[in-house]
Amino acid sequence: MSQAIELPVLDAADRDALAELLLAVADDEFVIGFWDSEWTGIAPMLEEDVATSSIAQDEIGHAKALYELLATLTDDDADRIAFGRDAADFRHAALLNHARGDWAFSVARRYLYETADAVRLAALAASSYEPLASLAGKIRREETYHQLHGEAWLRRLAESTDAGRDRLVSGLECLWTDAQEVFAPLEGESRLLERRILAKPMQAMHAEWQTQVRDRLRPICAELPDASPTPDGRRRRTDDFRWLHGEFTSVARSEETATW
Amino acid sequence: MTERIWEVFRQEDEGDPMVHAGNVNAPDEELAMHYAREFYGRRGESHRLWIVARDAVVELDDPDLLKPPFDRSHKKPGGYVIKHKLEAAKQRAAAEAGE
Repeated sequence: MSQAIELPVLDAADRDALAELLLAVADDEFVIGFWDSEWTGIAPMLEEDVATSSIAQDEIGHAKALYELLATLTDDDADRIAFGRDAADFRHAALLNHARGDWAFSVARRYLYETADAVRLAALAASSYEPLASLAGKIRREETYHQLHGEAWLRRLAESTDAGRDRLVSGLECLWTDAQEVFAPLEGESRLLERRILAKPMQAMHAEWQTQVRDRLRPICAELPDASPTPDGRRRRTDDFRWLHGEFTSVARSEETATW
Repeated sequence: MTERIWEVFRQEDEGDPMVHAGNVNAPDEELAMHYAREFYGRRGESHRLWIVARDAVVELDDPDLLKPPFDRSHKKPGGYVIKHKLEAAKQRAAAEAGE
């Protein structure tokens, strides 16, 4: 899945820093897309099944575009990056290490992820690196709907029965610490900021996101504990993720020399 | 969730007629909109959707009102043969122009 794109010339260190950023964002989209696709066939109702599956597909579509940009930048292959890496080499945030859980758990994660992703996409759309800015602009338009859908379900469960609300709250509490890791610092971040490839520091994006999310969640659950991103927030892996990795690489591994 | 049925109409391009596309089940307007978008717009095939609760539709299907038993041909334009009248009028117009 590669296509020729003419990219602005970057020196090796800038390129490495940008590659790290692209991989982090792409892996987030790729992994949440696969977790949410686990709902295909078993969502609460047929219409919701189609909606959730379609959103999951959109996320994988965003990952595809980001992997392609990364592959062009590093002279690699998007399929290899997506399906040819070991589980330990993935760089998604720890938020996406958890199995899908019940419906409320998935709703909690979608809410936390979509809101964080929106803050990040706004910064990426302001990147000085034009191919990234333009891709982020396109992705943002599709994420508008994802956010509406995520918020609709958050509110629905929060205002439903005690059981629905309790499940939502326990999902939010369980995921809260790991959700911070969407803004985990990048090794090459200072360079990216200097070049304005990244328009805003992760720390500033994190503060913006946390204020917004705390305000929204205050009427739903007890005040969530203090939490901040950590340096290994994109390196921790779990058995849940290793299982998912086995699933999504199984077809590619079945015939490694095949052209798909 | 108590589900309701929502009828969906779609317009392919600005100015095209709204055409009935089908329907979706949803508990309320908000999810009806999301589901209509997924079912009838996610491939970029629609310019506009109308989503209408089925119970808001006024239905008329009374045969006494719509298909009464008497001959209705006089209510259709085909019930009048105007071909000859039209020809005569054309000739008259041509004759008048020639005068």
